[in-house]
Amino acid sequence: MLLRNARTLILAICLCSVLSAQPESKTVSLADCRFAANPSEFLARESRIHLAVHRQAASLARSFARNQVPSAAADSIPKRNFIDDEIFGKLAASQVPSAPISGDEEFFRRINLDLTGRIPASDEIRAFIADSSASKRDAVIDRLLNSPEFNDRWTMWLGDLLQNTSTLAAAAINRNFQGRNAFHAYIKDAVSSGKSFSTIASEVIVGKGNNYDNASGAANYPMSASASMGPDQDTYDSMLVKTATTFLGLGNYDCLLCHNGRGHLDQASRWGITQSRSQAQGMAAFFSRVRFTPSQPTGSFAVSDADSGSYALNTNSGNRPDRVTIGTASSLMPEYRETGAVPSDGNWRAAFAANVVKDPMFARNLANRIWKQLFNLGLVEPVDNLDPARLDPANPPPEPWDFQATHPALLEKLAAELTRGEFHLRPFLRTLVQSSAYQLDSRYGGEWKVDYVAMFARHYARRMEGEEVHDAIAKAAALPGDYAIQGWSERPGWAMQLPEPIEPKGDLTALNFMNTFQRGNRDTQLRGPDGSIQQQLFLMNDAFVGDRVKVARSSKLQSIAKITSDADLVEEVYLTFLSRRPADSEKAAALAHLGKTSSRNDAVEDLAWMCINKVEFLFSH
Amino acid sequence: MKDRFGFDWSNVKGAHFWSKPQLGRRMFFRHTASAVGGYFLLPTRPMERVAHAAVPTQNKAKNCIFIMMQGAPSHTDTFDLKEGNPFPAAQFKPTKYNGVLFPQGLMPNVATHLDSIVLVRSARAWASAHGLMQNWVQIGRNPASPTSKISPHIGSVVSMELSAKGSILPTFMALNGTPPAGAGYFPVAHAPFLVTAGSPLPNTSHRDGSQRFSSRSDLLLASEGAPGTYADLGSGPAEMEEWKSRSRSLMYNSKVDQVFALDQTERLRYGNNRFGDACLTARNLLRANMGTRFIQITFGSWDHHANLYAQLTTMATQYDAGLGPLLTDLKTDGLFDQTFIVSQGEFGRTVGPLNGNGGRDHFTQQAILFAGGGIKGGRAIGVTDERGAQTVEPEWVRDRPVRPEDTEATIYSALGIDWTTLRRDTPFGRGFEYVPESDHDVYGPINELWG
Repeated sequence: MLLRNARTLILAICLCSVLSAQPESKTVSLADCRFAANPSEFLARESRIHLAVHRQAASLARSFARNQVPSAAADSIPKRNFIDDEIFGKLAASQVPSAPISGDEEFFRRINLDLTGRIPASDEIRAFIADSSASKRDAVIDRLLNSPEFNDRWTMWLGDLLQNTSTLAAAAINRNFQGRNAFHAYIKDAVSSGKSFSTIASEVIVGKGNNYDNASGAANYPMSASASMGPDQDTYDSMLVKTATTFLGLGNYDCLLCHNGRGHLDQASRWGITQSRSQAQGMAAFFSRVRFTPSQPTGSFAVSDADSGSYALNTNSGNRPDRVTIGTASSLMPEYRETGAVPSDGNWRAAFAANVVKDPMFARNLANRIWKQLFNLGLVEPVDNLDPARLDPANPPPEPWDFQATHPALLEKLAAELTRGEFHLRPFLRTLVQSSAYQLDSRYGGEWKVDYVAMFARHYARRMEGEEVHDAIAKAAALPGDYAIQGWSERPGWAMQLPEPIEPKGDLTALNFMNTFQRGNRDTQLRGPDGSIQQQLFLMNDAFVGDRVKVARSSKLQSIAKITSDADLVEEVYLTFLSRRPADSEKAAALAHLGKTSSRNDAVEDLAWMCINKVEFLFSH
Repeated sequence: MKDRFGFDWSNVKGAHFWSKPQLGRRMFFRHTASAVGGYFLLPTRPMERVAHAAVPTQNKAKNCIFIMMQGAPSHTDTFDLKEGNPFPAAQFKPTKYNGVLFPQGLMPNVATHLDSIVLVRSARAWASAHGLMQNWVQIGRNPASPTSKISPHIGSVVSMELSAKGSILPTFMALNGTPPAGAGYFPVAHAPFLVTAGSPLPNTSHRDGSQRFSSRSDLLLASEGAPGTYADLGSGPAEMEEWKSRSRSLMYNSKVDQVFALDQTERLRYGNNRFGDACLTARNLLRANMGTRFIQITFGSWDHHANLYAQLTTMATQYDAGLGPLLTDLKTDGLFDQTFIVSQGEFGRTVGPLNGNGGRDHFTQQAILFAGGGIKGGRAIGVTDERGAQTVEPEWVRDRPVRPEDTEATIYSALGIDWTTLRRDTPFGRGFEYVPESDHDVYGPINELWG
């Protein structure tokens, strides 16, 4: 941490000196230094993300009924697999205590939310707590990995990653709902059937055929790259940026397609500064034969590859600087990064796909993205700007660079594990969630320091996504929705089954409710973790919640209201909504409320409302 | 079209938006070199600003009302009226005010305020696709550019800069329409708060009554830990508390209700329609002074490909009936000079004779209405050719058509926000400039509005 700040300071001093070197400028004093004015603005992105995770962990703390947890010596935590060797090895070496292994209730809610996007039912929790078998956590992991809800949750995740939308702000052609549905069907099948991630990557990169047709749903992936009104090169560039970011974590191609890395990425990427614009264009050239042709039915497109064509250096229009001849070269042929591999035949997209899945960045990127999804903090942050020159533990970067991953050896081992498992999602997820590192408590005994964030000394709570909040309320009240989706005959009731975060368009109550949780649109608006006034207003007063905390409508609340013992009733409400039994103070408050409320139904509704409005309800922790 | 320094901007900025969206290095130096005796030495533009980010701003206004005339009105039948057009003259009553031709018959109420309005006629959009340009004018940058992916709405930037702690209402309110952009990478607190004018603020009363709400709140309070218990853990708990308390301060708040509950007599005075309701709500918001600083009113559609004059009359009548009283009331309240008003479509419409359907199609030339914020009214800035197809005389310091990025810079400057601000806190580490290309001084405010 100190080292990082020191480097930030050096960067800031460089910036100041650049300012003072401007010949026209007046005398520059410290007052002109933008770093001095606001150092936090210049904190490395990674530090900012760590700080955000730190704050989130802190913000949740006071919402819990605090049973203080003791911290544990890192080497006392059982090592379940190689992940634990790395995580607890580093903690022990730094003499940082670890949080203890989470309790059953906490683990059970977390694993349900992380693998299926739904909170568990009260009887499932009771059964899990009562189960005395030593392997019960592994058993529940296997059950959830093979549940239909798993398919819903990870279809949503992959839909986010592959940006499955009906429209895109900057695309020239749109998938429309038919194309989106076909792509959703492709993604859902890929997840359900356990398709290897390398197969998925290859299939979408080379996707061809009619985009409305379920049999060629993968053709919808390249369509998102079509650049609005620009020259064809904008489309090739856009395809590379999306593909390299998604599958390799190399978002810096967006920079490199305009200019060389040197002079631009000097502070950001050790790899980037070695890359030239023409090398990036050589990567984009793999896409220079992709074609989108209007097709039948009207509105659909046929995605295909031309027999000839290359990346022409012949235009001064478009969304990037002029593409003009380099020496005598008036066009560029495909050439893959690092290896220099060129296509062996005319099928250039297939050649690109073959190179991508062999690229060491493919496994690292996927491992880091999935790690982030479960541990709520990437080993490398941000996940879409990996630096290949700062990842190999056997090959440390030169001074003043540092490794990019918090645990470089762990990232390599995860990548190797993923490769050995041929990029299958479920076994890899199993490895992650079986680790003690994943199963740590999100509470922390003793003093918590922001420096500990990078060490994963506790589990980091995350805010639930809008779909999860919807499904949690719907499941607890046993009142799922009934949503019409254009082009679908089935009517999903769970938000995690929706094909796109702009649905359900036909149900404004559900739509507006979820939109206050920053679902984003997979395009210009990102999913976000922030709270807001609107969220609070919706949770307290909106029809989506109000209509579900009604005994008259909810069969679940009806059955709760029939419980004769007040203590049992309170426990059932807490298990149903918060997946845990109440702490003593919470139980006392609830019992007092039951005592003074004349109508038992009213009291049950109030308790349900209270649970939904506890800060904790919005978190997977 | 060559500018006064002798180079042709149309090849730089292009008639088509995809032509280079920025000045190349060579062009920039050519421009600065040729401009040594020119505007870089004007008193308003000292040279050091080329090297220094901080710029003086107009800083005249506290609030901004941005009226998005969605669908793109025909500029040559409204703010850049051309006498040769086939509009019904008896109805439109083209009238010159201080040399500015205006359709007095079409917009009689707005006409009475022309002495405090500036019509910028040298405005030009980059493209003529609705979705793209609507997004463009509201984020002030090319939606296809890398930074657009994280770009906040102009109103969200204003919110980020001007939000006052403890204010009751959100800084950025969007009336009658969902803006195409939100908070971008900024915290969601700066997202547009969507309100349908004429309805109460959603979810500010409890469905089961206030008694029940207060009983439930007591239960919630008793079931959470004591505030401040974990204050040592950072700012998180305090932020959570702030959301809760701010949302509660909106509930059962008669001052808030008064802002959004519209008086029927006043509704009639504002035209008795959705746009009028939005104008009235905007007035109430500013009058209440409860924290709202940027109000967007979305009003459309002005996309009149057919039967132009009938449809335009319907739209303009509502527009005039709402905007006129809004300007009057802001003046009466003493808020007019503190409130910068911008009204525009995403682009303009084709010029000269109507198309075969009696309408006009998409076109990049356009005109923008500015009022309030201390600007010197009663003028037009920019002269177009006799059909209104392109700018002949830009009449502002950059001597080229006004672009959405310039309008964006103008809004920031009017509100005292440094429009050259470069933020370093983006998710992908690339700097985010409030107005793109500020480091090259490509775009800037229309300071001529202030005289």
